[in-house]
Parts: sequence; structure tokens; C-alpha cells
Amino acid sequence: MEKSIESIWKDGFLTADELVAPKLNDLYNKKSGHIVDKFTRMFKVNLIMIVFGSFVLLGLSYMFGVPYLGIAMFILLNILAFINRKLMNGLLEIDKTANSFDYLKQFDGWMKEQISINERFARVLYPMIFISIFIGFWFGEIGGDMPGQVLLNEFITGHPELLLVFGIPWFFFLGGILLLSLLAYFGGKIYQWDLKIVYGRVLKKLEEILADMEELRG
Amino acid sequence: MSSDFYTSSILPHAGIIIKICRAYTDTQEDFEDYYQEVCLQIWKSRDRFKGESKWSTWVYRLSLNVSMTLLKKRKNSPQHFASDYLPTELTEELPCFTDESLSQLYTAIRQLSEIDRGIILLYLEEKSYQEIADIIGSNPNNIGVRINRIKERLKKLLHGKIY
Repeated sequence: MEKSIESIWKDGFLTADELVAPKLNDLYNKKSGHIVDKFTRMFKVNLIMIVFGSFVLLGLSYMFGVPYLGIAMFILLNILAFINRKLMNGLLEIDKTANSFDYLKQFDGWMKEQISINERFARVLYPMIFISIFIGFWFGEIGGDMPGQVLLNEFITGHPELLLVFGIPWFFFLGGILLLSLLAYFGGKIYQWDLKIVYGRVLKKLEEILADMEELRG
Repeated sequence: MSSDFYTSSILPHAGIIIKICRAYTDTQEDFEDYYQEVCLQIWKSRDRFKGESKWSTWVYRLSLNVSMTLLKKRKNSPQHFASDYLPTELTEELPCFTDESLSQLYTAIRQLSEIDRGIILLYLEEKSYQEIADIIGSNPNNIGVRINRIKERLKKLLHGKIY
């Protein structure tokens, strides 16, 4: 016999047994599977790791005679941590109790903002990391010598006619510029790629739900 | 979370939380996870309740938002989580309702989009179009149109066993 969904619903739930709440286990220590909580937790861990890593790098760079590398990386990583710490405030303010559309919009807005800022920063960060590594090793002191100077002397001795640009062989200079340009160009894409691997599924789902809601608001 | 808070503020609304969580999950493990997560989020967000709506409406809204955006395994998902590696014999399908028609209705509801599931659950709980619109963030006219479409879809999914 045909029934309406309303009557199926009403009659079906007349039995109280259908609505027995499951036991709550270990709620205090339960790791939340909720997007916002998960992002907040991951963000906090990432920030701590970035700051901790910057100190480790600084120490190691002094130990291995490349202090400029350590100092530059320390500054870069702490700027990255600072920017993302500021971004995290927005994440903490997302109101899960707002209506579904506003809630998802808030989260989507935050995601877009942080992606855009980090994408722009990645275009600067990757080239800066390269420059830091280059300067760190070039002007460092390994075994009592400056590796850059040793390399340069070798080249100049072997090829006295070599054209130098800013004190370094021209092909090193050109290669460096090319690499920096590539890193600046692809920095944002590398970040996007990384983001897709980690959060691709969530972002897609969010996009689908929002598209549906936009249509519903029509 | 204090057991007092759970008993006084959540348990009276456990029915609707269960109904919502069941609509968004396929297995008993996921269902229990979702239920716990909703309770956790109600507790964590309790200070945001300003009394502008009824507590029950607020619970509906939060349960829907949490259920729609929980990061749990999904069938055919390219990404895997630790629970995906549980042997299949350890994952348990959600027990059917004693009422067969209700079980079939739930199976059909689970095939709807996240938003449509939320809308039809609220409708079946006899919320007005205005209330549904407030919870979802839409307008009553569109909700009415959407409900008719969802009912048509459910009818198809249930092979015309409903009218």
C-alpha cells in the first residue's frame, strides 16, 4: 500500500527503540573530525613546527658554518608563522551555529583568503629560500674556507677569460635568475598543488554544497 | 562535557540528532562518530547560544552544519583515512529500522545531496518553511519549491512506493 513520506516518518519513529542514543566515549580526548576544528588543530601544529624548525635550522647553520642561511631561514619561517597565526584568528571566529549558508560562506571565505595570502607569499617564499641557501653556502665557512670563494677561484684559474656578473660567473648568474623566476612563477602553483593533495576532497565538497545552496537561494 | 549538560541540554534532543546523523552515515561506526561530534560541538559552542531562537532550533542548525561538514570516510573517496583500513568485518552497517518503509526512506534520503537531506529532515520534523529557511539560510518560497523536488526525487528512488 502506498504511504506518504510524512506518514512513513511518523509511524516509523513511534517505536522509542529506534532513537536510542549511542554512548559517548572518551569525549574529552576525542579528536574532532570537524573541518574547522581539524583545520585549527593542523594550523596550530604547523605553526609550532615552523617556529621550532626555524630555531633548529638556526642552530644547525651555526654548527655547520653557514649562519647566513640559518638567519635568513629563521626570518622567513617566522614571517610565515606570523602571517598564518594572524589568519588563524579568522578560523577561530567561524560560528558553527550560524545558518548553514552563512556558516559555509564564512568557512569558504576564510579558506579563500588564506589560500590567496599563502599563494602570494609562496611566490616570494620559494625564491627567498633559494637565495638564502645560495647566500648561506656562498658566504659560509666550511673547513675554514668560503665555498663560494673556493668555487670562484677554481673557475677563474681554469677560465681567466670568464665574464663575471656581480662577482660570479655569468652562467651562474643567469642560471640563478632563471631558477628564481621559475620559483616565483610556480611558487603559487606548488602551493596549490600541495593544498590539493591535503585538502582537495574537503574543498571540492565545500564547493559542491555551496553551489547547491546558492542555487537554493536563487 | 559535564553529564549534567548532556542530560539536561542534549539528551532531550537526542532524537533529532540521531535522525540527522543517520541520514548522513552508512555505518554504525560513522553514526556513533557523528553523534559524538555533534554533541561535542554543541558543548563547545554552547556559549554562542544567545536565546534568539529556540534551543531545539539551534541544535538542529548546529547538527546539520556539523553533519554536512564532517571529515569522515566516503565511499569512492580518493583520500583515505585510518578507519578505511579497518577490516571490513569490523565495520558494521547501520542496523535497519524495525519499520521497513522507514528503512527504505532513509536509504533514499542518503542518496540526496547534503543540503537536500537537511531540508527534508527538517520538513519531516514538521518545521515550517520559514524555520527551515532560517536554519539553512534561504527563503521560504525556494524551500517550498525544493521540498517538492525532493519529494519527487524520493518517489523515484522508492520506485513509486510513496505518494
